[in-house]
Amino acid sequence: MTFRYLPDVALADIAFEAEADSPEGLFESCAMALTDIMVDPGTLKAKVAREFSLDSGDLDRLLYDFLTELIIAKDVDSLLFKDFSVKIDPGGGALRASAKGEAIDRERHRLRNDVKAVTMHLFGVKREGRLWTATVVLDI
Amino acid sequence: MAQTGSFRQVSDVSWEIPETYKPGMRVPAKIYATRKLLESMDSGVIEQVTNVACLPGIVRSAYAMADAHWGYGFPIGGVAAFDVEKGVISPGGIGFDINCGMRLIRTNLRYPEVKPKIKELVDLIFRLVPAGVGVKGFLRVSEPQFEEIMKYGVKWCAENGQAWEDDPAHVEEGGYIKGADPSKVSRQARSRGIDQLGTLGSGNHYLEIQVVDPARHFDRELARRFGIVDEDQVMVMVHCGSRGFGHQIGSDYLRVFDGAMKKYGLEVRDRELACAPFASKEGTDYYGAMVCAANMAFTNRQIIVQKVREAFSKVFHRDAEAMDMHLIYDVCHNVAKVENHSYDGTRADLLVHRKGATRSFGPGHPDIPAPYREIGQPVIIGGSMETGSYLLVGTAKAMEDTFGSTAHGSGRTMSRTAAKREVRGAELQKRMLDRGIYVKAATMDGLAEEAGMAYKDISEVVETMDRAGISKKVVALRPVGNIKG
Repeated sequence: MTFRYLPDVALADIAFEAEADSPEGLFESCAMALTDIMVDPGTLKAKVAREFSLDSGDLDRLLYDFLTELIIAKDVDSLLFKDFSVKIDPGGGALRASAKGEAIDRERHRLRNDVKAVTMHLFGVKREGRLWTATVVLDI
Repeated sequence: MAQTGSFRQVSDVSWEIPETYKPGMRVPAKIYATRKLLESMDSGVIEQVTNVACLPGIVRSAYAMADAHWGYGFPIGGVAAFDVEKGVISPGGIGFDINCGMRLIRTNLRYPEVKPKIKELVDLIFRLVPAGVGVKGFLRVSEPQFEEIMKYGVKWCAENGQAWEDDPAHVEEGGYIKGADPSKVSRQARSRGIDQLGTLGSGNHYLEIQVVDPARHFDRELARRFGIVDEDQVMVMVHCGSRGFGHQIGSDYLRVFDGAMKKYGLEVRDRELACAPFASKEGTDYYGAMVCAANMAFTNRQIIVQKVREAFSKVFHRDAEAMDMHLIYDVCHNVAKVENHSYDGTRADLLVHRKGATRSFGPGHPDIPAPYREIGQPVIIGGSMETGSYLLVGTAKAMEDTFGSTAHGSGRTMSRTAAKREVRGAELQKRMLDRGIYVKAATMDGLAEEAGMAYKDISEVVETMDRAGISKKVVALRPVGNIKG
């Protein structure tokens, strides 16, 4: 489960590339990158769990919708997550996921950026052999 | 950096990229920049502005202003006008932060009075105006009230004790854009936005205490029209938008448009440019929802200004009215609006997208509030937190050349990741304090990302727009206190 920032892309925003050896791992990497942009994950505890169930039709849109759901949880319920477990249907269009994290604590959490949205600029999931990669640009 | 070999130099501050630059361009692209700004502009701007020039129904030209930088879909600092019948609407031409914009409030205080209390003032505003990741505001509204806000923006504020009587008239569009359709706004967008009124957010959003800076520019005659008369007069600038509400509307409709492209036989060069005919169901639905977000953003900035007035009143022990804390103006810089323009010998209603660009209507335009009508619309251009900002006015030439549009800020030259590598937040905070700018930031990482070195020279950007004649400098403002989201 890995990701790296792309410092020369979309200057006002934050871009990253994630990779994994499965679509599930890829989604978990992307979710972790999103968290890392919003908060230092080392300051976050896995106190509460949230389940997600999404049906988006294809893998690309599923990733877009999954990350958007995590952003919604940040604004509506003040929740940030650090542990992710994703199961994707064989067809690649639907998932069930659980995320563990906690409510924002401004004293204890080292907060970073308030992510606005997932953009579709350069957005996409690719597979090369056994390696799955995704490029994501987040609006900051 | 941009490769400029095939560009035609139109003037010392404008350049044209012909339709032959890439297949599919329907109109040329025009860039406002000095040679220095052009050569330092990132290549993403050129790619993106020429992609915009490929969109159906675009008229005359796609524009990149002097502050342009690589965004998503449109470049930031981009302007494009579309035929309302044959053209498209694109969420990527507006941005997720719908009606992100600037507000400028004057005071009759002079800096020597404010300087000893700047820390107290900034700290109090920091407590009254929540900033940072996932913050919620102090104003609680019911769902029916939130729908009224979507429809009536600052007019709602005036009717509910959240605005001064003359505030709505000093907001672009009189405080609300007509055509809001709350039935086109999702449940998620409502949930994200309803608790966020009166919050600053994060990223490059800020609230700044500023002082008139005659060393850089001070047109006393024009400034007087805005109630700016003293060299060390204190002003307040607010930069923020529609928060999670607008962000979710943008996300919802990007998904809708991404799916609708095939239905309308549309292809774009960047998925973020997903669009639909303005006259289609998808286009009409998005416009109705987008206007809701724009009106929420006007309201958000209004609620913040009420808190700023409250803070000044507490710190300086007098009424905000006694400190003449009137709104000079509030401008949108991420929006699409239907406007009537003359171009190429014709006059027509056009859907003008401005993404990181400011309306710059010239003298006499009926949409400018009466006190400013004969001098042009106030244009508020925010710089980095280290370098200051400007107030300008719109011009007749902007009406002729850019559909009444100009730049919005200084524009980034360095990514957030790169800026954080260059400087630490705490170090920057101390450096700014040494230079007389007291900064209170929600996060130190976020502060480092907004360092002045990550931005173009604001004065060169403003000078370019002034020399191009599409906005005219009135006064420069330097920061003395900053709240960074």
